[in-house]
Amino acid sequence: MEGLKRRRFADKTARWVITIGGSITIFVVIALFLFILSEVYPLFKGAKVLKENAYSVHGKVVSLGVDEYQEIAYTVYQDGNVEFISLPGGKVMKRYHIAGMTGPSATAQHNPDKNHGIFTLPSSLQGKKENTHEEIPQKFLGQNTITSVCKDNDRLVLGTSDGKILTAFITFSESFNSEKRIITPEILREETLQIDEKEQEIKHIVSESDDSTVTTVASTIDDRLLLKYTEERKTLFGTGEKTELKKNITDLLNQSQLNIPFESPGLRSNLIDPENRVGITSLALDSFMENLYVGTSFGEVFRINIRDKENPFVQEWIKVSDKAVTALGFVLGDISLIVGDYGGSVSVWMQVREEIPSSEVVLKKIHALKSHTAPVVAVVPSKRNKGFLTMASDGMIHLNHATSEQTLLNLHSKATPTALAFSPRGNGILVTDLDSNLFHWSISNPHPEVTLKTLFGRVWYEGYEKPEFVWQSTGGTDDFEPKLSLVPLIFGTIKGTVYSLVIAVPIGILAALYTSQFLHKRIKFIKPVIEIMAALPSVILGFLAGLWFAPFIEKVFPAVVIAPLCIILFIAIALFLWKFLPARLKGKYRYGVEALFLIPFIIGAVYISIHLNSISESILFRGDYREWLLNILGLHYDQRNALIVGFAMGFAVIPLIFTISEDSMSNVPGNLISASLALGATPWQTAVRVVLPTASPGIFSAIMISFGRAVGETMIVLMATGNTPIMDWSLFNGFRALSANIAVEIPEAPVGGTLYRVLFLAALLLFITTFMVNTAAEMIRQKMRKKYRKL
Amino acid sequence: MRGFFKSGNPYIWLTACALTITILMMGGLVALIMMNGLSVFWPHNIIKFALKDGSVVMGEMVKREPIPFKKDAYRTKLKIGNRDVYGLDFRWIENVDIEFREYPAHALTFERREWGNMYGFLKGIKQNDDVLPLTVENLISLLEENHSLVERIRYIEKSVIGDINFKMEKYRLALKRLTSEEPSPKVHKKIEFLHAKMENLEKTYREKEHVLAELYSGVMRKEIVVLLASDEEKIVPLFQVIRVYAPNEMGALSKLGFYTKKFWEFLSEEPREANTEGGIFPAIFGTVMMVFLMSIAVVPLGVLTAVYLKEYAGDTIIARIIRISVSNLAGIPSIVFGIFGLGFFIYLIGGGIDKLFFSETLPAPTFGTGGILWASLTLALLTVPVVVVATEEGLSAVPKSLREGSFALGATKFETIWKIVLPHATPGILTGIILAIARAAGEVAPLMLTGVVKLAPSLPIDSHFPYIHLERKFMHLGFHIYDVGFQSPNIEAAIPMVYTTTFVLLLIILVLNTTAIIIRNKLRKWYSAASL
Repeated sequence: MEGLKRRRFADKTARWVITIGGSITIFVVIALFLFILSEVYPLFKGAKVLKENAYSVHGKVVSLGVDEYQEIAYTVYQDGNVEFISLPGGKVMKRYHIAGMTGPSATAQHNPDKNHGIFTLPSSLQGKKENTHEEIPQKFLGQNTITSVCKDNDRLVLGTSDGKILTAFITFSESFNSEKRIITPEILREETLQIDEKEQEIKHIVSESDDSTVTTVASTIDDRLLLKYTEERKTLFGTGEKTELKKNITDLLNQSQLNIPFESPGLRSNLIDPENRVGITSLALDSFMENLYVGTSFGEVFRINIRDKENPFVQEWIKVSDKAVTALGFVLGDISLIVGDYGGSVSVWMQVREEIPSSEVVLKKIHALKSHTAPVVAVVPSKRNKGFLTMASDGMIHLNHATSEQTLLNLHSKATPTALAFSPRGNGILVTDLDSNLFHWSISNPHPEVTLKTLFGRVWYEGYEKPEFVWQSTGGTDDFEPKLSLVPLIFGTIKGTVYSLVIAVPIGILAALYTSQFLHKRIKFIKPVIEIMAALPSVILGFLAGLWFAPFIEKVFPAVVIAPLCIILFIAIALFLWKFLPARLKGKYRYGVEALFLIPFIIGAVYISIHLNSISESILFRGDYREWLLNILGLHYDQRNALIVGFAMGFAVIPLIFTISEDSMSNVPGNLISASLALGATPWQTAVRVVLPTASPGIFSAIMISFGRAVGETMIVLMATGNTPIMDWSLFNGFRALSANIAVEIPEAPVGGTLYRVLFLAALLLFITTFMVNTAAEMIRQKMRKKYRKL
Repeated sequence: MRGFFKSGNPYIWLTACALTITILMMGGLVALIMMNGLSVFWPHNIIKFALKDGSVVMGEMVKREPIPFKKDAYRTKLKIGNRDVYGLDFRWIENVDIEFREYPAHALTFERREWGNMYGFLKGIKQNDDVLPLTVENLISLLEENHSLVERIRYIEKSVIGDINFKMEKYRLALKRLTSEEPSPKVHKKIEFLHAKMENLEKTYREKEHVLAELYSGVMRKEIVVLLASDEEKIVPLFQVIRVYAPNEMGALSKLGFYTKKFWEFLSEEPREANTEGGIFPAIFGTVMMVFLMSIAVVPLGVLTAVYLKEYAGDTIIARIIRISVSNLAGIPSIVFGIFGLGFFIYLIGGGIDKLFFSETLPAPTFGTGGILWASLTLALLTVPVVVVATEEGLSAVPKSLREGSFALGATKFETIWKIVLPHATPGILTGIILAIARAAGEVAPLMLTGVVKLAPSLPIDSHFPYIHLERKFMHLGFHIYDVGFQSPNIEAAIPMVYTTTFVLLLIILVLNTTAIIIRNKLRKWYSAASL
């Protein structure tokens, strides 16, 4: 009795184990899908705030910054005081007073100016002219304040209310003490300079520098534009030879100086004040110190070429908005210009070469981003990617990405904001407001450049003349922007699949039809031989295609063109010979050996066409087929092209189509065929009208499975194409397929990075495609099995 | 004529043509690989051309082709070797430039460790500043002597110093672990003990290094002088020479013997010169071990699934879903399995194992990087459907009467399956394993992501505990083809080796598949006989 119980228990356990073991395949497929999906998902998640901290500061902050590790922030106050704040705690580590400021000493408390931030709006639009007069009492008291700021990496350039420019370097040095990182902030190399002799308030300032030159442009409260340029040439002995240039370039902006007629003079004259003065509302200078952009209260942007500092000239004048341009800035790389206006709209502009009429370079709007509801007052670019921050006067902060045109994060300061900073690694945002609050957000923004649109749509990249599909994941320079459009790769996959199926499907199905219906029983062993060929490793096919077939075809391309004609001719000859071959000779092999009989003829045809290669090249292609293709058809012939891939993949796919469709054709019940033949149909009619329709689901499933195989085939496309991600249906150039792209790029892709996840997305696409195709094929096969059971 | 077309005969010929083309394509492919792969090691005669411009070239004839648009003009591709002298391995010579040609009887082929083959005549051995004459026989005996020295160097470099490095690494890790523990007298003592041991090792290492240096200087001292075709003299260290032979003096039989020896070397030795010369043993070993590990993983999974489908499930929804997933697993592109293996096995599971058990070596990964285990598991997932389908067929072949007999005697279902059905289905399971192995042996794309390398420093099995190193990277025949054919610096010189490797791989796969198909056909016959 005990034994029986034990046996029954064993039986039950086994049933469970086998059931679970049997269903593992389901789990494997689901796990595959879910895992790949989980790797792709973060691409579309956007940015999020990891930590939010608020601290209080002592007064009105005009500039703000943070070190690379977000451990120490600095605040520059209106009165020239600088404080270094340790970030986790909010403690002030160090105080400092910038030389050249005549305000109260660093320790004294300063009454914050409640009325406006550093981001002053154009007075004419703000509707309070008295704005400027507020500064004057301070000036009378012998104090000056900082009125404008420009950050050029570590170099901080400050404009004051009395027309001075102060320069200071704020650096963070790293040192290690018993494996702990210590960061020390420092202020170095301060300079003071009177840029405006009239001692007017500096309203906007921009400055750029390199090893030997410094270019600074400032605009004053009375809308004068001043250019200052210093060049220091080091001689052998270390003493510098200094050239200095100071120039008032306000006149460039005047209408009378411009030879370009205004598009809408009416609008301008309506707003213009009696002196015909242009209200300068924002400035931007690129790091090449060549293009100075000036935004005006009329919504215009002037592009002033200052390459020759002696003779700057207005290169372009363009209306970018109906409202005043209140903020200008550059996306990383200093090529794309970010424009924010009084109405709150944010757009990105770039110099594009126009095709018609003059092929001149003009500014064009390439991206538009989510609008603010209040005037944009600040634009801060990321130092890591093409992202940037915009801030409106109501304290709303948007984290944008130029290329993907998405706004990833919305943040808000409490009161009117005064200064904004983006951490060097792009993972932290700091802002101060008039209520002396300092907000610090640690953010996670892993994949800002990816949206469905950048992956599958045309994107206008920097340096391109129009929106395009581009795949280019790595580049030479640091500010290179990865271009991750999957469209060229999908196109490549489709191209390779189509060409290989065009070659493989007819051959495979016809050969299967012949084998199942007409082939002599004695030579049916051909079938397993071809079946074995289905197991041929694709790396062998790829190697032969790339290193033997491609150079060979390149040499005998004209022969390839005439080969079909030769083959048809030789088949005709074979048919003729066969007809007149005495029946005695054929014996019992009267039918079903045509395929073997044809072998020498087809070899002969191929041999003859290769032999005729140079003759046909001179007749058909005027002696050089490459030139002929290029001149007559406009096609470029690559050695490793789609034709080669089509043939090589055909090798991989033909046995598959052949085996599956032959199986379904052989399984057509014999009584159907016998009935057809008995009714007087010829064998061919029976094959086409009875066998093919009955076996059609099997043939269909064969094509589907071959399609799946061709879509996912990696090694052949990797080895037999040039792997260039271009979009062109030409038979004679290469392509890059999704699968080969994964194989090429994933070893280089950092884990968890954007490229890594995009490659997983490519794998997901392949998975979904083949899943649908295979499921459909399998369902058809299951149905067919049932049908045959009935017949 | 119309009736002729109406009968459909021409169309039948058309379909026949499709089959003929298929047969020719497949046959041509195999013939091409065999022709190119098998001819590589045949000792070709050395031909010497005196050119019209007065220069002389010597080498092996590789191929000859007509020059288009010129009558009776052809050019010959000559492997001139001596890459260190000429910079190129090959040279095209047009027949109009040739003054006369000959096959010099004493011309020698020198196989070298570096710079490829050298063709020339032996002048003598260098002794101080003189050149003493030397016969080829003496040279060969000198070479043998030399080889035993080289073997010894190899042994010390690989085994002895490898051992020392292995132990050193072990102590270093132990030390690292100890220093992270709470300091106590016991720990301190242990640390000191380890330090002493490491010092000892260091001493033996230095001794061995000294021995090596001496051996090297001994080997490098002997130099031979070779006279090249252009009457230039070239001094070659004996150490560089692997083999010397005079192909023009060899008969067909000795050439065949030479060929066999070379082919065996190819299969049993390690690669040299960035894989373009030498053998492919590590690649064969890696492939075999990988498919072996894969078989261990795939057989239980595949057989369980097949048994469930055939014996338990019937025609339920679950069975249909399983069938769909099996056919999907068969259809999902291999690169998708590869990327799954990379993300799931390597970074997720491997990374986790590293954090738990190998934290002292971090950030250098142990299991968190590609290795033979992960590659095998990835391929196991890929080949499950092959095993399932073949096993199912094997199970179908078991006659119903056997099962019913077993039930009638009172056996439970499991007992029937375990003791009656499965033993009878073994040929089917075997077919499945063979087909899976054939598939895995030829698959490359997923391996590229999960642990295959162009040159593995050591095999996954060696004499160090735990003897089988599943975390190691490995070499693979298929990847070897891709890598040497497409990524080696000197592709033209490497192509013959790629053909030979391709031939070996093709042979393995054809043999495996043929065996599987033969077993399956036997099974089918048995099945149809049993069902009667």
